[in-house]
Amino acid sequence: MTRLAINLRVIFALVLREARVRHGRARIGYTWAILEPVLLISILTFLFGLVGRNDSSSGDFALFFATGVLAFQTYRNTSIYVSTAFDQNRPLFNYPMVKPMDAALARLVLDGSTHAAVITLVLCFQIYALGAPPPNNIPLMILALTLLLSLAFGVGLSLAVLRRFMPSISNVYLVIMGPAFFVSCVFFSLSTVPTLYRNILAWNPLVHGVEGFRSGYYYGYQNADVDLFYLFTWVVIVNFFGLVGEWLTRFRIR
Amino acid sequence: MADTFSDTMIDLKDVSKTYSLRGGRKVILNGATISLPWRNTAILGRNGAGKSTLLRLLAGIEEPDTGKTIRHKTVSWPIGFRGSFHPELSGIENVRFVARIYGQNTEQLIDEVESFAELGQFFYEPFKTYSSGMGARLAFGLSMAINFEVFLVDEVMAVGDARFQRKSKAAFHGRLPSSRIIMVSHSMPALRDYCQSGLVVNDGNLHYFEDLEEAIDLYKLINS
Repeated sequence: MTRLAINLRVIFALVLREARVRHGRARIGYTWAILEPVLLISILTFLFGLVGRNDSSSGDFALFFATGVLAFQTYRNTSIYVSTAFDQNRPLFNYPMVKPMDAALARLVLDGSTHAAVITLVLCFQIYALGAPPPNNIPLMILALTLLLSLAFGVGLSLAVLRRFMPSISNVYLVIMGPAFFVSCVFFSLSTVPTLYRNILAWNPLVHGVEGFRSGYYYGYQNADVDLFYLFTWVVIVNFFGLVGEWLTRFRIR
Repeated sequence: MADTFSDTMIDLKDVSKTYSLRGGRKVILNGATISLPWRNTAILGRNGAGKSTLLRLLAGIEEPDTGKTIRHKTVSWPIGFRGSFHPELSGIENVRFVARIYGQNTEQLIDEVESFAELGQFFYEPFKTYSSGMGARLAFGLSMAINFEVFLVDEVMAVGDARFQRKSKAAFHGRLPSSRIIMVSHSMPALRDYCQSGLVVNDGNLHYFEDLEEAIDLYKLINS
């Protein structure tokens, strides 16, 4: 049996195992995966409706927030989930063919496919129940989402490596991810931001992923400042750091 | 042919392994070269001499700092009563996981382990609720249900009641035609029960003895 076949078998087994405990053992289980974005989208739609930006119907609001929230949460949840892959699977590394990298990849596969399913469900609901327009450029949406997931994997892996030395790094990351929600174009469009702030915001790689996803959905979306190649550069850097870091620290800590 | 010497199970070639601890470095192996014959072998050594680490090196979970370990037989994971099970998963889920990664028939493995381990309803409860005896029964039953040529066993026999000890011995004897055991234990009767040869770990060196009694003599000398 080749190494690759064994690797795939191990990752498959890990995905099934993780799926059993991902959202706790409560009966609500995977419902939460869909409830979380739906609640956020509803709250945002309700709040902005109150503020009185009534120049467009609330259906448009809901779709706009949905594209932002779904893309952002895919990144945030997956990166956090991957970052604890090593710690939470430690007993399983006692089997010779199960390596920490397999655990990280399994979590990427599980969370990536869970979020893809949630995104499909929520957007279909918007289209068929709320009468939202259909997506314009699905390949571009998939590209943006793939880049966001790759970024999440690189960041999660880097955090997992750092956690081998200082587990508290996760708290720092969670603190950063709070404000990140407000500066990643989740509930506003980059093109509506004044030039000065727009140039600062554009340093945030998440902006390009979220806006790239959105510009794939809307026909004729203003996306002059959206640069997926910039996001790709980040993807390469964080994945390089994570992979090399994992390799260097592999046998240092038990 | 339990006493055949022509068969090698594991080769260590110039293997060194060191751990950095807070208080300095701990040398487990210092350029050890040895060819282990395919025999039932006891691993002896003082507490902290590195017996469990040696087992992990033999299993291939850890890589040596320098040198090579070469396995000529299929080798199990180090079987211990707490080691390799996930605390949040139930016994049956842990068994399923192992069946998948080793490419075994899941349902058949579950049946065999369930009847050996005698966990009753606990088979469906998270592993963290198990007593150490239950953990040992699950670990031993699971590993014995897979066709390894070499079983690495870490102190499992010491826990569990007399009935479990009888049962595990019978299960292992059923495996003897095609399998051998490498066993870490502080209980000399258990080692004498299972093993004919001995390997003593001391100060970064390995000493192999065909005859277990000679190994035990050296171990007693080190301890005194």
